[in-house]
Amino acid sequence: MYPKEHKNIVTSLLEGKFITVAEKQFEVIKNKEGFYITFFEKSFGLELLTNIEYYYLISAETNENTSRDISIFFAILCEELDKDNRNFMEELNYSTFGLDEIFDYFQNSSREAIIKINKSLNSLDNLKGLLRTMMRRNIVVKQTEDSYTFTKAYKVFTEFAKELVKKKEIEEN
Amino acid sequence: MIKSEPKTIVQYLANHFDLLRELFAIQVENELIEKEQLDNALKEYGRDIEGMLYDHKILKIQNENFVLNEPYFKLFEFILQEFKPLLPEEISKYDTSIGTLFLKLKENIEGDKNLLLNQLSALSKEIDHFVNAVINNTLSLLNESRELKANRAKIDYQEKVQQARFWIDHYIVPLNTILDSNHAQSIYNTLLDIARYANGRRLDYSDESIRRQFEKLYNFLKQVEKDINQQSVLLTNELLPLLERIKTESEILTGISFYLSNGNCYKKIKPPKLLVTSRNVVYNPFVYEKTKEYFEHFKEETEIVLIEQFVERKEWIFDKRLYKSKLDKSLPINDFFGWCQACLEGSGNDLSSDNFFMLTSLIFEPDYKVQSTQEQRVITLQQGKSTYLMPKLKISKK
Repeated sequence: MYPKEHKNIVTSLLEGKFITVAEKQFEVIKNKEGFYITFFEKSFGLELLTNIEYYYLISAETNENTSRDISIFFAILCEELDKDNRNFMEELNYSTFGLDEIFDYFQNSSREAIIKINKSLNSLDNLKGLLRTMMRRNIVVKQTEDSYTFTKAYKVFTEFAKELVKKKEIEEN
Repeated sequence: MIKSEPKTIVQYLANHFDLLRELFAIQVENELIEKEQLDNALKEYGRDIEGMLYDHKILKIQNENFVLNEPYFKLFEFILQEFKPLLPEEISKYDTSIGTLFLKLKENIEGDKNLLLNQLSALSKEIDHFVNAVINNTLSLLNESRELKANRAKIDYQEKVQQARFWIDHYIVPLNTILDSNHAQSIYNTLLDIARYANGRRLDYSDESIRRQFEKLYNFLKQVEKDINQQSVLLTNELLPLLERIKTESEILTGISFYLSNGNCYKKIKPPKLLVTSRNVVYNPFVYEKTKEYFEHFKEETEIVLIEQFVERKEWIFDKRLYKSKLDKSLPINDFFGWCQACLEGSGNDLSSDNFFMLTSLIFEPDYKVQSTQEQRVITLQQGKSTYLMPKLKISKK
């Protein structure tokens, strides 16, 4: 009755992980999307958010601080990559980032005031901690001891920025 | 009329290509070349070459300013592959001109042969113009998009998005409508009609020279069909996604800028929702207990010695003989149960119900005569815990 990867899917999603198009479980959910939406709603009262590149669960209660820190992380990183004449979407999709490289971007950012008061971004150790949190949620994948790549889950945060523009335009009109 | 030798003109174009290229760039940018701009350019490349610009009819005067003569302008557009994008209306006009020429040709199909040959030639030429316009336009739009993507002019995001939207809405989508065979306004369908007609006539016409011209037109249209498809694919697969992507990237960066400005990220704007994870894992709800149990399994057990504090208790044993002799000595007795109570109390023994009733068993001895009375008495045992209502029994020796 249940698909082969069911246990892994349920465990991963309930741990707050994103299941992205690169993982084998993605195809399983995609084929039984309706079932999983109902399953999580009826069994746990959670909403399964679907996208062409990732799945993840959200609850009525949200982990606001973690989400805020990750949002700020991506916002500043994208801005700095763009300033560095690097196409941020291509870089987030395909590049491997060194820990020092990421930290340098934050050190040299003009958003100093925001970084200074953020306990996840204001030191190398804290940044490492945030990357660990992101790894637990499958937003980041550790490649070597000090290098990381991003999964397609980063798009939750870039889409969020895009939506802000639309909301702002609606409010202004 | 040009007085110069053609070879001299070509030589001049080659020798002073850099000057001409600069003038071309000025005209692309401003639509014309101002006197001052021309003077500045000539200062750099030499005043003595100015006269030739007019002799070879490269420049012409337009309201005190200058423009490159159209054939030269077109030549530079072509050799530099820098075409000004045409508005869709400039391209769709070919639909009318090609359609009219085709209609006239059909009307004259049985008429004057020379006119028919000229009509066939004019139709091919017009189709050729149309295809060149489409190819050049796609190329120029691709260049514009790449330029916008690289953002060498460092324009801000908002402007970049507006530019991308402008190219999509006013150039690319309408051009695609012209080329896409699924649209009613598509010139592509007109060209297919002409190809079908030419195919029939190349096999079915009395005059051989005209049959050959239809054959030529038909083969040319087969090539045109391929070229147009290629351009359509380029538009839908490359150009539109490229511009959509510019739009998306710019929108993201604009959103980011808004999010990070004025402390919005800490106060005003809530981040995307994320799941609050619980420590319980769905398939192991007793993971803590199970882990504890597992580790306890390997824990070295220490020997447990239970030391009980021994309290010596004097066990009361009913000595029937002793109490029978006591009873015998006390006979006759008016209240047997009262005697039993007093007897136990007097000997300092535990006045429990068990002891009391063991003692009362003496009443069943065959030596005694028992008489009951109407009176009753209350017996309280075990420090008030048990209270019995007993009859008063008289006992005497038989």
